[in-house]
Amino acid sequence: MTVADGFLEATVRSATPLAFAALGELIAERSGVINIGLEGSIALGAFVALLATAAFGPATGLVAGGLAGAAIALVFATFVVTLRAQQVLAGTAVSLLGLGLAAALHRISMIGPDAVSQVVTIPVVTIPVFSQIPLVGPALFAQPLTTYALYLLFPTAWFFLYRTVGGVVVRATGENPEAAHASGHSPDAVRFGAVVVGGFFAGIGGATLVVAQVGTFSDGMSAGRGFIAIAIVALGRWHPGGVAVGALVFGAVSALQFLAQSLGWSVPYNLLLAFPYLLTLIAMAAFGGVQASPAALGRDGATRR
Amino acid sequence: MVFLAAIVTSACGGAKPDAGAEGTGLRVALLTPGPISDKAWNGGAYAGLERIRDSLSAKISHIQVKTPADFEENFRQYAAAGYSFVIGHGFEFQDAAARVAGEYPNTVFVTTGGETVRPNVAALSFAFDEPSYLAGMAAALASKTGVIAGIGGTELPPVKTSFAAYTAGAQFVRPDIRIIVTYVGNWDDMSAGREQALALARRGADVIFQNADAAGLGVFQAARDTKGLLVIGSNSNQNAVAPGLTLGSVVIDIPHAFLLVAREIASKSFAPRVIRLGTANDVVRWEPADVLATQIPAAAMARIDSVRGAMRAGTFTMPGAP
Repeated sequence: MTVADGFLEATVRSATPLAFAALGELIAERSGVINIGLEGSIALGAFVALLATAAFGPATGLVAGGLAGAAIALVFATFVVTLRAQQVLAGTAVSLLGLGLAAALHRISMIGPDAVSQVVTIPVVTIPVFSQIPLVGPALFAQPLTTYALYLLFPTAWFFLYRTVGGVVVRATGENPEAAHASGHSPDAVRFGAVVVGGFFAGIGGATLVVAQVGTFSDGMSAGRGFIAIAIVALGRWHPGGVAVGALVFGAVSALQFLAQSLGWSVPYNLLLAFPYLLTLIAMAAFGGVQASPAALGRDGATRR
Repeated sequence: MVFLAAIVTSACGGAKPDAGAEGTGLRVALLTPGPISDKAWNGGAYAGLERIRDSLSAKISHIQVKTPADFEENFRQYAAAGYSFVIGHGFEFQDAAARVAGEYPNTVFVTTGGETVRPNVAALSFAFDEPSYLAGMAAALASKTGVIAGIGGTELPPVKTSFAAYTAGAQFVRPDIRIIVTYVGNWDDMSAGREQALALARRGADVIFQNADAAGLGVFQAARDTKGLLVIGSNSNQNAVAPGLTLGSVVIDIPHAFLLVAREIASKSFAPRVIRLGTANDVVRWEPADVLATQIPAAAMARIDSVRGAMRAGTFTMPGAP
């Protein structure tokens, strides 16, 4: 039993930052923009969260991390939406910008006697009754508040996308920007907004690494989570429910890797690390990932032809 | 990213422009494979660079590099810019140093780790296994569960050697001890380092020797979050990273080693060789924290000290050593 408990708890912990980032990517992609620069939002979000948490506490830290992520996404949106740069190229550049900016600012912030290197992480909040559910109880209901926020955010994202006018406009922009334009909505404005909001969530994802997990910052601590988030959105077939499951799958594979090594299994850890990507490829091939994606994904949002 | 790092370094590294009366005109560059904020391997190297600057009034520059192509490119850049001493901080810089050295005979390339020697290439070799053995003894003696662990970044040969010595030391004092060695898969992901430590704690491990640089900071965080979990630090003295939760550190006095070579270069007495540094000259040492004495009896402490004495005297033979 303890093996299963530890594994499931690690799954949810590992999935939390991924789920925030993937939620952000989902919103951007439903509007038709692939934000490959997400990694930059996560990295800067993590760094800013450290400073803001040290100065004002973890709640401000999380929000500030989100805003930093949004700021990076704003740069991306300016290039891609306003200046019509190619999405993949701009995304790669912005990813490097965020990583480099976080590393450079961190280095500057380390100088001097008041340099912040460690903050106290937020505690695990155990929810009575629910946490007693066999097997999944402790995994789902003995987590930091940031994880519980996701339990509200995913249904909210679903409600927004499928049950509100705003959501319809976002989806329409992702499927057919010309039609969205014809019905009186600016595809550019919608995409700009979706990308920035997506960057905000990615920034919070980075902030949770600091605020809820390790309490400090180091260059490269985002460790490719922005790219994993993009894979999660594809694995989840551009649907909030699917994305939530996808985040848990990737979390589970990380947790399995930790578990396997701690049990002394003789499986090469590198192989386990590659497993989720393999899964994404299989999912894309088996379920027709291309058909499931928004029709105008990655395409210029210009309405003139 | 690399450019930004370089700009920032030159901004803070050039704080002491005047060479002073003792100015040697020495220009020293450092390439690290990871961020100097790791309070360990890379942080120690930067402290070493600063020591050279302060002791020899040298001009310094640092850059963080990622891939073998970066290693070679930055070696060339610094050599072409007239740097007299360029350090590749790790075993993995050997090949790049050997490739570029012939073209820049006026620059000395030194790798921290490795065995590669050329007319202007030397390697610093640290007997990291000796204090790792002592750390294994301490871990086994302090463990209440009989399970101890190691967390590395990736399976580099020096890391594996260190864990083998840690295992041997633990088994020397406690033949029935269980030792679990794991790897994060990289040196940066602190969250993964923490998760690996938490998974090991679930398996009963109550002492973890971390050798994962920045990712290892996550191991200290796991100890803050888990009652009864203790950490052994590595490369730099990490006893202050999580006071009360750190048994000790396997320390390489990197600044001491760097300064040693820098002095040779400054005085033109440099000779290419593998510069072997270990317990005997105190460059590599086991640095127990105060916590250790509260965890194990005085007799056990004395046991560790006696083995350390044998290492200092050169009478200790590592089990399995050729």
